[in-house]
Amino acid sequence: MTLAHLLGVAAAVFAIGLFGVLARRHAIGVLLSIELMFNAVNLAIVSFAWSRGLLAGVVLVLFGIAITVAEIAVGLALVLLASRVAKSVILDDLSELKG
Amino acid sequence: MLDALLVLAGPLAAFALLSVLPPLRRSGKPAAALSIAGIGVSLLAAMALFARIRTAGAPSILEIVWAPMTTGPSITFGLLADGISASMAVLVAFVALLVQVYSLAYMSDELPPAFGRYYTYHSLFAFAMLGLVLAHNLLQTYVFWELVGLGSYLLIGFWFERPAAGRAALKAFWTTRLGDVGFAIGIVILWSSAGTFTFTELFAKADSGVLTGTALTLGVAGIYLGAMGKSAQFPFHIWLPDAMEGPTPVSALIHAATMVAAGVYLMVRIAPLLAHTAQVATVVFAIGVLTAFLAASMALVENDIKRILAFSTVSQLGFMMAACGAGSASAAYFHLVTHAFFKALLFLAAGSLIHAVHTNDIFKMGRLARVMPITSACFAAGALALSGVFPTAGFFSKDEVLAAVLAGGHPIGFAILVVTAGTTAFYIGRAFFVAMMGPNTAPGHPHEPPAAMKTPLLVLAVLAVVAGAAARLIPGLFATSIAPHATAEEHAPFIVPLLGTTAALVGLGLAFAGYQKRAFDPANVRRAMGPLVTALERRWYVDDVFEFGYRFAYLKISHAVGWVDRYIVDGLVNAVTWATWVFAGRLTAMQSGRVQGALYATAFGLVVLVWLAWAR
Amino acid sequence: MRDLAFFGLAACLLAAALAVVTAKSLFRAAFALSAALVATAGFYLLLSAPLLAAVQILLYTGGVLTLVVFALVVAGANTEGAVWRKPAPAAFMSLAVFAVLAASARALPETAPVRGLESGKDVGLLLFSDYLVPFELLSVLLLGAVFGALLLARKDRPE
Repeated sequence: MTLAHLLGVAAAVFAIGLFGVLARRHAIGVLLSIELMFNAVNLAIVSFAWSRGLLAGVVLVLFGIAITVAEIAVGLALVLLASRVAKSVILDDLSELKG
Repeated sequence: MLDALLVLAGPLAAFALLSVLPPLRRSGKPAAALSIAGIGVSLLAAMALFARIRTAGAPSILEIVWAPMTTGPSITFGLLADGISASMAVLVAFVALLVQVYSLAYMSDELPPAFGRYYTYHSLFAFAMLGLVLAHNLLQTYVFWELVGLGSYLLIGFWFERPAAGRAALKAFWTTRLGDVGFAIGIVILWSSAGTFTFTELFAKADSGVLTGTALTLGVAGIYLGAMGKSAQFPFHIWLPDAMEGPTPVSALIHAATMVAAGVYLMVRIAPLLAHTAQVATVVFAIGVLTAFLAASMALVENDIKRILAFSTVSQLGFMMAACGAGSASAAYFHLVTHAFFKALLFLAAGSLIHAVHTNDIFKMGRLARVMPITSACFAAGALALSGVFPTAGFFSKDEVLAAVLAGGHPIGFAILVVTAGTTAFYIGRAFFVAMMGPNTAPGHPHEPPAAMKTPLLVLAVLAVVAGAAARLIPGLFATSIAPHATAEEHAPFIVPLLGTTAALVGLGLAFAGYQKRAFDPANVRRAMGPLVTALERRWYVDDVFEFGYRFAYLKISHAVGWVDRYIVDGLVNAVTWATWVFAGRLTAMQSGRVQGALYATAFGLVVLVWLAWAR
Repeated sequence: MRDLAFFGLAACLLAAALAVVTAKSLFRAAFALSAALVATAGFYLLLSAPLLAAVQILLYTGGVLTLVVFALVVAGANTEGAVWRKPAPAAFMSLAVFAVLAASARALPETAPVRGLESGKDVGLLLFSDYLVPFELLSVLLLGAVFGALLLARKDRPE
């Protein structure tokens, strides 16, 4: 288990999450994919911290998790609002611009 | 050179004022007065110019450098007044004045706006023709040549509401344009070899041997092509008979005396060059003889009096060109002058007849000599002059032409021309006897025309009779006074006038016998020569050849070019448009407003940055 | 031994991630995400960060996922129609990103890992000394998030 391996896994999860964000049609599906990406980034930071012996990395991830929680809460509230107003949470339906 | 400038300024001022001030033009009679005043000034100035040149005995040149060049010859504007151009200017102004006065009565049925338009065109034409006559270099001649063509187009198509008139005007313009292409090429060839456009310099270079060989031959041949178009030489003669759609005074001016004479005038002008190119001279001669004969033959079967006169003009132009080709420019010019008088006379007299009976067909006229004696007498004078009967002007000039041809060593051409002279006498006699004599009077109440029409007739009749003798008695009156290549045929061999007069009398006699005395029925003769008559009526099928060429060659090429233009040239442009639309459509999709679109771009940026920083 | 755990956890994590992205029913996706989060917590344990692992499970799996499930119940958990929209360019982009990140990971210099990364006590000390200000600001952020969520999601909005 080397740093490169860990980072490789983190990169893979990040890429998978990116795919989900770009391709998914359901709004909450996109939010979940964003979670995946955050998760991968956190893993990468912790890997670096473990490899270099920096405790600050852990603190950073702690803060990151807290912020992510806040962001998810607001995002879900938005999705609920959208489902009430537009009667749909499929992103295609929520797009009003042409093209 | 004030007089020369005045010659041009008169009609130019009239035209300018009439074209710029529509109220003046639309007022009718005042417009006519202005135009006549302009040409009157021109005539006076031309006579003054002629007198001055005659007494001075040397040409007078005015040259203005218009576009100076540092390398090569400058482009100049110039007036050349020598014996030939001065006398021609007098002729043109004189006939134009008579025709414009005649038109006051002939065109009086027109509404004032059309009346004014008619005189505007006349002023334009007079200016152009005089400019052509007085030009001192080939380029200027060409410019005025084209202007003359424009004036002719406008005047032939004057009654433009009639489709036939429009077509005739176009036909005239296109046919002469075809010749003008050759004219332009000839000018360029001469310029590229001699480095100048000016007549005097070209003559000097040709005489000194600088300008010689193929360049000279091709250049002169090109200029002859232009003359062929304007002077209706075979096969470019097809426009002249159709041009009779225009008003009769126009026919008198343009298609008898001035415009068609411009081609002959040009050949006379470049006679010094023609003298050095025997091949071209031979061609000029041969086509001249051919034209003379064929046109006379076509006049035999025409019933429209104007068409008879039109073919007669073509035929006489052939005579003039034959004289040029035989080497005698002075004979050609002499005939040009006398022809101007008697042909204009014939046309104006025909106009009187037409005005009186409202038809052009000679077989619908008859016995008009009874009710219109003066007109008929004038027509008779013109007919005698055309036939070349002593002592009319036509006798002397035709004699000179025939003598020149014989002296130039062309016995066969001479014989053909003598036969043609006889034919000429026959067809004009036929016209006279059918229309003005004969047993039956034309319907309606034909009467003599008003004074405005009668006076020009009488003036021209007098000239048609005396001008020839006057020329003999006053030496050098119509001399060309240019390079001494004119064969001095003061004392032609007696055989020439003998044969000429015999032919004329035979022709007139046959016409008299057939149409007046009814000694034989011309209709039987016509039936007997069926196929030949058909060919003559179809004008030797020349029109058909042109039409075939147009339909099968020219139109097809035009269609092909059009196809290429529509599908290939336009196609390229449309393809660019289409590609732009498609591209724009694709680009619009990028601005969809959905976040994922932006995210793609961000991810792409991330990839690029990381790659640049770390992965290389 | 560590390597075995690593590979096992990696496999779980990747499988769960794939499931999140491909599931048609979003309940399934949410549960797959929780599995991925737990696997990540396992990673943290492996990397000697037990506090982090605990926080991960408590906050993420316990809190966030619960929220998600509630939202799914209200908003609807089924994607009508296709799961994905234009998967090909998305896959291409993901592969490109992965490739570039992996390649840069390889280029990093390798250092010997340090054992004994942290203890909860050390983290707490850091939080209240060097990182005190961010800590307090974080509480403000959370307050703002609560208000925001409440405002956005309440029923009777005066128009």
